Amino acid sequence: MVLGSVPAEYYLVLSAAVFCTGVFGVLTRRNALMFLMSVELMLNAANINFVAFAFYWGNITGQVFTLFTMALAAAEVAIGIGIILVLYRNFDDVRVTDATTLRW
Amino acid sequence: MSEHWLLLSPAGAFVVAAMALFVIDAADPDATDGSLLSAVASAGGLVAAVASGALLLSGAAEPGVELVGGQLVVDGMSLIFTFIFGSVTALVSLASLDYIRELPHKAKYYLLVLLAATGMSLMASANSLAVVFVALELSSLPSYALVSYLKTDRGSVEAGLKYFLVGALSSSILVYGISLVYAATGSLLFADVAAGVGQAAADYPGVLGVGVLMIIGGFAFKTAAAPFHFWAPDAYEGSPAPVSAFLSSASKAAGFVVAFRAFTVAFPIGEIAGETYAVDWVLAFTILAVVTMTVGNFAAATQENVKRMLAYSSVGHAGYALIGLAALTGIGDGATALGASMLHLLVYGFMNTGAFLFVALAEHWELGRTFEDYNGLAKEAPLACVAMTVFMFSLAGLPVGGGFLSKYFLIVGAVGAGVWWLGAVLAVNSALSLFYYSRVVRAMWIEEPDEAREIDSYPSALYAAVVGAAVVTVLLLPGLAVFDVAAFDAAAALV
Repeated sequence: MVLGSVPAEYYLVLSAAVFCTGVFGVLTRRNALMFLMSVELMLNAANINFVAFAFYWGNITGQVFTLFTMALAAAEVAIGIGIILVLYRNFDDVRVTDATTLRW
Repeated sequence: MSEHWLLLSPAGAFVVAAMALFVIDAADPDATDGSLLSAVASAGGLVAAVASGALLLSGAAEPGVELVGGQLVVDGMSLIFTFIFGSVTALVSLASLDYIRELPHKAKYYLLVLLAATGMSLMASANSLAVVFVALELSSLPSYALVSYLKTDRGSVEAGLKYFLVGALSSSILVYGISLVYAATGSLLFADVAAGVGQAAADYPGVLGVGVLMIIGGFAFKTAAAPFHFWAPDAYEGSPAPVSAFLSSASKAAGFVVAFRAFTVAFPIGEIAGETYAVDWVLAFTILAVVTMTVGNFAAATQENVKRMLAYSSVGHAGYALIGLAALTGIGDGATALGASMLHLLVYGFMNTGAFLFVALAEHWELGRTFEDYNGLAKEAPLACVAMTVFMFSLAGLPVGGGFLSKYFLIVGAVGAGVWWLGAVLAVNSALSLFYYSRVVRAMWIEEPDEAREIDSYPSALYAAVVGAAVVTVLLLPGLAVFDVAAFDAAAALV
């Protein structure tokens, strides 16, 4: 159960804290760019788990997967920024609450 | 070894067609005629469908062949689903020829469709949580762009934004769930996860349980199952109708195939909720199935907009397909229900695609979006209206199309697995769904139009796709026999 001198649970607590920060941002921020940053925090919380437990289990699966996650996060941001750009062109703002032409 | 790579030929067909579109677009970026692009994309889909059908019926992939160090697996289930993806891609690409004829960036449109289809076919073969995530993103990212393809249309942009925001959120939830499962088991390969899951359930039930629940959330988003369905009505209503068809049929099926394999192979219910209890995912899927069926059908019944009605009906159908996972109680034979879910998604791939393509036809004629706008359409476009009638009645489960048989198998499977009441919920919901499906039929055939209108063009490619989907839907009533043995065998191999 010992990871170096830091217990593995600490990493879980850290990643859960980062993840919850991201969730909080998603729920409270209305700016689409802030939403994207919050989602990045959530992805990086998962990366903390992967790296910490790759060390804990003594295999590199988790570390390699972290590289995949980071690459995909970048791709996701690229698409996201594109959509936010057309959002700005159509609604003159990047607030997610402005786009309400479709009814829920 | 080399012949094993042929098993990935369905995914290969998508990739080759996508690359061909790249080359065509690079050679002549200003081309305005989309017929070559549409033909290449449809051919890619068709080749993928034919290849998976041939591999499936020849039994070449029995009992399941692992590739790339076990990261991918090709078996009966993956071939059934690549057949669905290929067929839907072909229909959608064909129909798009008329739908996006006047719009720019055609090559990118078809390219994104094919890349999303590639991701879906990899999802069907994914045999490790890493591949699940990468393939799911490969199918999601092009879909976000496709939904907001009409970039000067406010509805399309809004739909794309909502789809993207919810999608990004749920993929981060999925990947966090995967990281917790990795933390508990130390592996991402399904087989290794399954080997470690019993010990993990004993040692770290909390970490494993929360991880599995988050993975369920990620899949529920992809399949548009309640309570993760809120993006679906907006995304399907706002996006171009062929894209709605693609997302609600193929993308949903892709979410299901991943869920089927992940939960039956990586998280055996006996290990994870037996003597050592971490999480009972069968119970979770049972709740999801009942809620999704009910929410989808009741919401669909209150809609005035046909496309939105179809969107909610697609949520309801996700609930029907979830019965396949909810029936894996370990009591009785869950394989029948799982196989029936696959068959339902197969039939649904044709009938739902066809229904959305009929909406595309109506949008092409600029008829309007409500039920009343379809009044008296049968006088002017009888062939398309016959096709739409087939889709509606088959979706409702009347014996005019394959939808009747697949629902019948689902009920039989649910009863056989000891969850007869799930079958009863399905039957009640199907009866309710007949109400709103028949509204479309009544509008087309019985009602008189409020004002005179003339339809002066009959777009041949869109017509061909709609009629083709209707013919297959009807043929699947007797023709489901071709697939049912394969589906039940594939399900039995998993359970």
